[in-house]
Amino acid sequence: MENKEKKGNAFTNNPIVKAVGAQKIVVLLAVILLYVVFFVMSSSFRQYTTLVSLLDSSYYIGFMAIGVTFCLITGGVDLSIGTGMICYALMGAFCIVKLGMPVGVGMLICVVAGIIFGFFNGFLVAILNLPPFIATLCTMMITRGLGSIFTGGLSIAWPSSSTPQGWFRTIFKINTSGVLLPIGIVFLVLAVVIMSLVLNKTRPGRYIIAIGSNKEALRLSGVNVVKWQWLAYVISGFFTGLAAIAYAGVLSSSVAPGSGAGLELNAIGAAIIGGTSMNGGSGTVVGTLLGVLIMSLLNIGLPNIGLQANWQQIITGLVLILAISLDVFKNKKLARA
Amino acid sequence: MGEVILTMKGIDKSFPGVHALDHVDLEIRKGEVHALMGENGAGKSTLMKVLTGIYSMDEGSITYEGKQVTFTNPREAQAAGIVIVHQELNMMNHLTVAQNIFIGREMMSGKLINDSKMNKEAIKLFQKLNIDINPNDKMGDLTVGKQQMCEIAKAISHEAKVIIFDEPSAALTETEIEELFKIIRDLRDQGLGIVYISHRMDEIKVITDRVTVMRDGGYVGTLITKDSTKDDIINMMVGRVIYEDPKTESNVAPDAPVVLKVEHLNAGKMVRDVSFELHKGEILGFSGLMGAGRTETARALFGADPKDGGDIYINGTKVDIKTPMDAVKAGIGYLSEDRKRFGIVVAKTVAENSTMANLDNFTSGLFINKKKENQIAQRYVEELKTKTPTVDTEVVNLSGGNQQKVVIAKWLVRNCDILIFDEPTRGIDVGAKSEIYHLMNELVAEGKSIIMISSEMTEVLRMSDRIVVMCEGKKTGEIDIAEATQENIMHAATLRD
Amino acid sequence: MENFKNNKIIKKIGFNRVVLIGVLILMYFAFALVCSIMGKASFINYQRILSLLNYSYFLGFLALGVTFVIATGGIDFSIGTVMFCAALVGGQLLTKSGLPVILCLLICVAVGVIFGMLNGFMVAYMGLPSFISSMASMMLSKGIGSVFTKTQSVSWPQATADDGWYRSLVKVTVGGVTIPTGLIFLIIVAIICSMILNKTKAGRYILCLGSNKEAVRLSGVNVKKWECLAYVICGTLAGIAAIVFVGAYSTVQPGLGDTYNNDAIASCVMGGTSMSGGLASIGGAFIGVMIISLLQEGILAMGFQKDWQYVITGIIVIIAVYADVRSRKRRN
Repeated sequence: MENKEKKGNAFTNNPIVKAVGAQKIVVLLAVILLYVVFFVMSSSFRQYTTLVSLLDSSYYIGFMAIGVTFCLITGGVDLSIGTGMICYALMGAFCIVKLGMPVGVGMLICVVAGIIFGFFNGFLVAILNLPPFIATLCTMMITRGLGSIFTGGLSIAWPSSSTPQGWFRTIFKINTSGVLLPIGIVFLVLAVVIMSLVLNKTRPGRYIIAIGSNKEALRLSGVNVVKWQWLAYVISGFFTGLAAIAYAGVLSSSVAPGSGAGLELNAIGAAIIGGTSMNGGSGTVVGTLLGVLIMSLLNIGLPNIGLQANWQQIITGLVLILAISLDVFKNKKLARA
Repeated sequence: MGEVILTMKGIDKSFPGVHALDHVDLEIRKGEVHALMGENGAGKSTLMKVLTGIYSMDEGSITYEGKQVTFTNPREAQAAGIVIVHQELNMMNHLTVAQNIFIGREMMSGKLINDSKMNKEAIKLFQKLNIDINPNDKMGDLTVGKQQMCEIAKAISHEAKVIIFDEPSAALTETEIEELFKIIRDLRDQGLGIVYISHRMDEIKVITDRVTVMRDGGYVGTLITKDSTKDDIINMMVGRVIYEDPKTESNVAPDAPVVLKVEHLNAGKMVRDVSFELHKGEILGFSGLMGAGRTETARALFGADPKDGGDIYINGTKVDIKTPMDAVKAGIGYLSEDRKRFGIVVAKTVAENSTMANLDNFTSGLFINKKKENQIAQRYVEELKTKTPTVDTEVVNLSGGNQQKVVIAKWLVRNCDILIFDEPTRGIDVGAKSEIYHLMNELVAEGKSIIMISSEMTEVLRMSDRIVVMCEGKKTGEIDIAEATQENIMHAATLRD
Repeated sequence: MENFKNNKIIKKIGFNRVVLIGVLILMYFAFALVCSIMGKASFINYQRILSLLNYSYFLGFLALGVTFVIATGGIDFSIGTVMFCAALVGGQLLTKSGLPVILCLLICVAVGVIFGMLNGFMVAYMGLPSFISSMASMMLSKGIGSVFTKTQSVSWPQATADDGWYRSLVKVTVGGVTIPTGLIFLIIVAIICSMILNKTKAGRYILCLGSNKEAVRLSGVNVKKWECLAYVICGTLAGIAAIVFVGAYSTVQPGLGDTYNNDAIASCVMGGTSMSGGLASIGGAFIGVMIISLLQEGILAMGFQKDWQYVITGIIVIIAVYADVRSRKRRN
């Protein structure tokens, strides 16, 4: 048998490219390219407020995407993040507005609800061995229903920034003498750094990668695979809870029941574009962040060049198809090598 | 050889319908390499799985370092110093070498994993073994040989006292095997007990001190390697003289036309420039060691895997086979070595499986003609003596031999002229085996031609009219049955570059 | 119990389906009982049954279609939105462009077929995982539906209008009595589907490849073609579902439809179609559809929010899939 070691081309063998990852560089270039294209094509895109709203949408997609990256790396998926996020935001809003709880408690409720449903998903997948996509589909239905049931089918708004309760919005942007500072990006980047560290430098992260790579081998190494697989879904739930806060924080209008369907695809698409494989075992949080930027750019940029919201769904669909085709193609190439 | 470190006594284990281990004994001493031999399905792997706690035993006792022990999972066995280097490598390809070696016991600094320390430790291990691997490489990027070295390094890092090698050389090159042997001798000299599972007789003679032979789940006996001959061991393994019933001369007429001609077939790394001819009414045996590329050749020929090049002629006409569809159209049928995965649809009935490859003939108008389908299925059940209650029985309920007959029926219903039998009797009991042999002989007598891939020497010598031997993806010999001996086949099978 | 299970008629219908029919009947009377206790309007009347059936028609076609896809071991999350997309495109052409009704009905089916082909191509020929690729086409169909109608809802003509004849596919009123012709339509199509699945080459290969695709491929069968066909059948039926949907409800809104995927999948799984493929029951799906339709009617009748239905369907699917996983484990 001859030497089977992988060869690449000049680009992929470059030490810097190797360290950062070829896909990430390509995606980063795509982000820049997309930005430039929108910048040139649309004058409204050049406005500062557009940049702020671009970041606004990247917060909640970003949190969801970070969480779901962990599920994808185990070789699973979490489809409940979109409806889940809306459900938790509705619960929080209900508690604050209808029950008069402080906003801090409302936020806590978002996160706790997220963790509970993440726990539930993990139970279905790791303990009951249901296929992840079908288990989380059920949670998707359940959270969709529950969110709406909670508010009696009504839309509820979180306190606006002009009210004293509206302080939580300053987590994401502060208005200093008329200029909006998008400080939410700090939290998103912080989350990316921490979760990157968790994924690459801690045991849970290591085992989550290993589960996606070869679950049986990890089990034979005496590691409790059930626990760590379960954890991936809890992480996803926790971040969906954070996403709910971000969604409420940047959204000026009320949270509408039933508006979460399809949002999970933004997040899953972002993760896959960022290089996380649907087959499990590989993926990075930084790559996911880049994918999120692409998704937000499309969400915010397209209306600016005259393609309204309904076009976005089409574009999201196409981007998703492109991303998974690339992933499947990549894996096929690996298998043949 | 030192004192006894591990004793397994009267180990008994049953699975539903199978008595996998029947009161097996095994004794390992410090500083010895102990071969565990037996044919496929003899129970070697099961015994090792009982030892390392993957399976629990029904009866028997394990004494390790003077104390009676029972391990309930591989981790406990590892902790005690019994480590297994698996046949199918248990690697996480997405992680680095060092990360794999220390999986489950990462070195920490505070809450974070200290990868650089793990890399350093890995280098130390590799130095001990005298091998050169970068611990920071992704496991998936290494060759199989190097992956195996990593497994060994992992075993040593567990401070193993007993290491079990499960067919370690199956996928290795000659140089890699030499390296492996050097490491094994080193480990032996350091006083470890080593269990070496292998099919390769020549290796056993070279590397092991004692041999324990198993047959059909039972313990046959233990020999001192240097005091015994190959034949002694083989006789213990098969329980009979190997040349019980060898074919002495080819049954093929000298002027039999060539039905299949393969020229310069290439596919990946396992099929390199393979050419051969198959005559009408011939059984062409394909012999070779595990991983010699025989199955890969058959799959590429059949269109199951992509080809890189090569020409195929059927009855003198060149055919382009890209998919199994093309192959079946050209009259080739393939009986896979892995029936459950590639041969039958277990959840479907005997009749449904029988007509799978030729459903067009059983469709009248829009609908499947169930009556006709059942008739033909019934016909072949009777002809092949398939033991099934009815043709409407799901194949999952049939024994291995009878499942194989259903696969044969499938290709007979299709009326294929060329049949590729890949390990036709693997996992099939003795009685059913001779029935399958009988069937194959009948088929060639009817004018069909058979390619038979087999790892069992008895089978090759008993059935083939001519034998093609492969090694590392290349054809290394072609022997007429009149001249074939176990030795010259083995010789060709180990002709490495 | 064993005697009951081994009874000839029971065996013919299938024990699970007999149980399901039992559940259906029990549910019906339970709802009736609860409604009367709660002092709501009586549950047992013809209008209720008609309304229940209205829901079952389009759901029925969706469920029949997705049964074929699940039989191959795949999934189609786009059926609900494809149905809406078809109804929107057809309706827009009918009301705004004035195309003849018959043509618009055909266009509905054509839209379904096209999406079915797209899904089939992505899964069978490109090798994409079905759940995510069909979610992508869910987004596509949603978007195309709203782009085509400029985010306006579309109302198909009422029964009394000139172009309203298509509604007789769903119900006909003769002398003040409403006859649910849609049920007959659904049953006929269900019988056809059952025959395709169990009696034709296509059905045989779809079921077999759901069970062991590689073995079927190595038998020289064009598995890609047959796998793709399952998605095309599914899309076609989603197109037909669009027709009976507007026949029953007239108005279609863009941006909706994805919740019906879940109802349809739940119906199949409940009816004994296995999510891991190879095992499918059209009859079971039909009964499952009736149960889901009854459930939604019951929830409405008791005055609860419709959203309860999502929650309950979610739980039902978990239980059904878990039962399937368990029974598979036991068999191996």
